[in-house]
Amino acid sequence: MADRKAKLSTSKVNVKLTSDLGRISFVVGACMLGFVFLVFLISVFYTPYNPNMTDASNILKAPSFEHLFGTDHLGRDVLSRIMSASKYTIFVSFAGIAIALVLGMLMGLTAGYWGGIYDKAIMLLSNSIMCFPGILLALVAVAVFGSSMLNVVFALGIVFSPSFARVLRTGTIAISNREYILHAKILKVNPFRIMVVHILPNLLTALIPAVVIGLANMTLFESAMSFLGLGVQPPAASYGKMLSDAQSYVTTSPWLIVFPAFMLILYILGLYFISEGVRIRTSRGGTIE
Amino acid sequence: MRENLKFILTKAVEFILTLLVVSFFTFAAFSILPGDTASVILGPEATPEQIDSLRQELGLDKPMVEQYLNWLAGTFSGNLGQSTAFNVPVSSLIAQRLPVTLGMCALALIIVIGVSYPMAILSSRKPFHLADQVFSIIGHIAFAIPPFVLSLLLILLFSNLFGYFAVGQYYAPTDNFGGYLNSLLLPSVCIAIPKIAMIFKFLRSSIITEKASDYIKTSKAHGLSDFSILIRHVLPNTNVSAITVVSIVLSDIIGGSLIVEQVFNLPGLGRLLLMGISRRDFPLLSGMVFYLALATVIIYFVADILNNLVDPRMRLK
Repeated sequence: MADRKAKLSTSKVNVKLTSDLGRISFVVGACMLGFVFLVFLISVFYTPYNPNMTDASNILKAPSFEHLFGTDHLGRDVLSRIMSASKYTIFVSFAGIAIALVLGMLMGLTAGYWGGIYDKAIMLLSNSIMCFPGILLALVAVAVFGSSMLNVVFALGIVFSPSFARVLRTGTIAISNREYILHAKILKVNPFRIMVVHILPNLLTALIPAVVIGLANMTLFESAMSFLGLGVQPPAASYGKMLSDAQSYVTTSPWLIVFPAFMLILYILGLYFISEGVRIRTSRGGTIE
Repeated sequence: MRENLKFILTKAVEFILTLLVVSFFTFAAFSILPGDTASVILGPEATPEQIDSLRQELGLDKPMVEQYLNWLAGTFSGNLGQSTAFNVPVSSLIAQRLPVTLGMCALALIIVIGVSYPMAILSSRKPFHLADQVFSIIGHIAFAIPPFVLSLLLILLFSNLFGYFAVGQYYAPTDNFGGYLNSLLLPSVCIAIPKIAMIFKFLRSSIITEKASDYIKTSKAHGLSDFSILIRHVLPNTNVSAITVVSIVLSDIIGGSLIVEQVFNLPGLGRLLLMGISRRDFPLLSGMVFYLALATVIIYFVADILNNLVDPRMRLK
C-alpha cells in the first residue's frame, strides 16, 4: 500500500515536472528566438558599420571596442555582418516553410480525404521525395537552376513538403470518419471547404510542432547550402557563408567562427525548445515522454 | 508464412515503384533545364560544332523516352557514361571515392549505436533525475548544432588545444589502415553527434513507456534482475527497434557526410558532388544522385522486411 502511494506521488511529481518543463522550454526557446528577432529588427535600422564595406587597413582584427566582434579577412565588421545575416536566415526559413506547408497541405489533406488510388499515388510521390537525402535534392535543384535565394527557398520548400503531407494525411484519415464530416458531406459542402475549415483546425496541435521543427531543420539546410557556396550569393552576409570564409582562419582568428556559430545555434536551439514546449503542453501534460 | 510472403511481395512492388519514380525524378531534373543541356554545360563561348558533338556524345539528339531508358539501363549495369569534366567513366570516379564515404558512414554508425544506447538506458533508469536532465539538455543542444559548425568547433578544439588529428590529411585504406581510420574519426564524430541526440530522444521515451507496462512488473515480481529484464524484455520491445535506428541513421549519415567531407578536406563523394555541381558535369551528377537515392531506398526496404520478420507486431498493423 505504502509502495503504491509512493508510486502515485512520483507519477504526480512527473506530471507536474513535465508541464513545468514544457513551460520552461517554451519560455527559454522564446527568449532565444526573441533575441535573434531583436537583432534582426535592429539591423533593419542600424548596424555599426556597413556590413559589406571592406577595409584594407583593418584585416582580421581581434575583437576590440572599435569592432566588438572583430573583423574578417576583408576587413568587414563581423558584428554588422552577423546582424544583417539574420534577415536571410529568418526569411529563407519562413518562406521555405510557407511553401512546404502549402504543398504539404495540397498533398496531405487531399490524400487523406479522398484515399484510394489517389492516396497511394501521392504517398508514392512523397516517399520518393523523401528517399533523396534532403540536402542532395536542394543542392541539385540549385545546381540545375542556378543559385539564387529564391531557388534555395523553392528547393527547400519541396524537400520539406512530404513531412507535412504525412502529418496532415494521418490526421485527416482519423478525422474524416467523424460524424460532423459525414454531415458536411451529405450537405454537399465543397470538399476543399471541408478540408480547410472543418479538418485542418483539428490538426493544428500536430501541425504546429512540426512547423517549428521544420523551421529549425530548414535553417540547418540553408546554412549548410550557404556554407557550400550554393545559398545566398556574396557579398550579402549569411551565417553559412561567413563560416565557410572563416575556415581558412580557424587557428588564427577563432572569433570569425565563434560569433556566427553562436547566433546560428541560438536560432535553431530556440526553435527546438519552443517545439518541445508546445509538444509537451499539447500532449495534455500527462504522459512522461 | 503466407502473410509474410504477401507482405514482402507488396513491399517489393512498392520498392520497384519508388525506384522508378526516383529514377524518373533524377532524370527529369537534369533534362528539363531551361535551354539546351549541351550549351549549358559548355558555357556561352562554345561553338555550334562543339555543342553538336557534345549533344551526340550525351545522346541528346535521341527522343526523350529513349534517352531515359538508355540512362536507366546504364545505371543498373554500372555504365553511367563519361564524366564531361574529368573525361573518365563516372562509375570509376564514384568507385574511387567510395571508401572514404563508406568508412565514415560505418564509423559514425558504430559511434551512434555505441553512445546512444548506453545514454538512453542510463537516462531511463531514473527519469527526471540528474543524469537524465543533463543528458536531455546536452541532447537538445547537440541536435541544434549544424554538422559543419560542429566540425569547425571540434577542429578549433582538437587541433589548437591538443594538437590531435591532423586535419586535412587522408590515407588510402590499403596504404595505411590506421591513418585511414584516424583521418575519418573526427569527421565521423561530427556526423554522429546530432544523430546520437536524435536516437537518444526516441529510445529514452520508448524505454520509459515500455518499463511502465504490466508484464515488466510481473517479471520483476518473479525475481528477474533489472539487467536481464532490460536486455530480454525492454530493449527488444521498444517501439524504435534497433533495425529502424540503423536505417534512419544510415540514410541521414549519407546526407551529412557530404558536407562534413568538405570541411575536413576528405576526397569522398561529397567533394565529387560539389566538383560536379561547379563544373556542371551532368552525367556525373545524375549518376551520383540516383545511386545515393538508391542506397536510401534499399536501406528502407531491407529495414521494413527485417522489422516484419523479427517483430510480429508489425504484421498486425
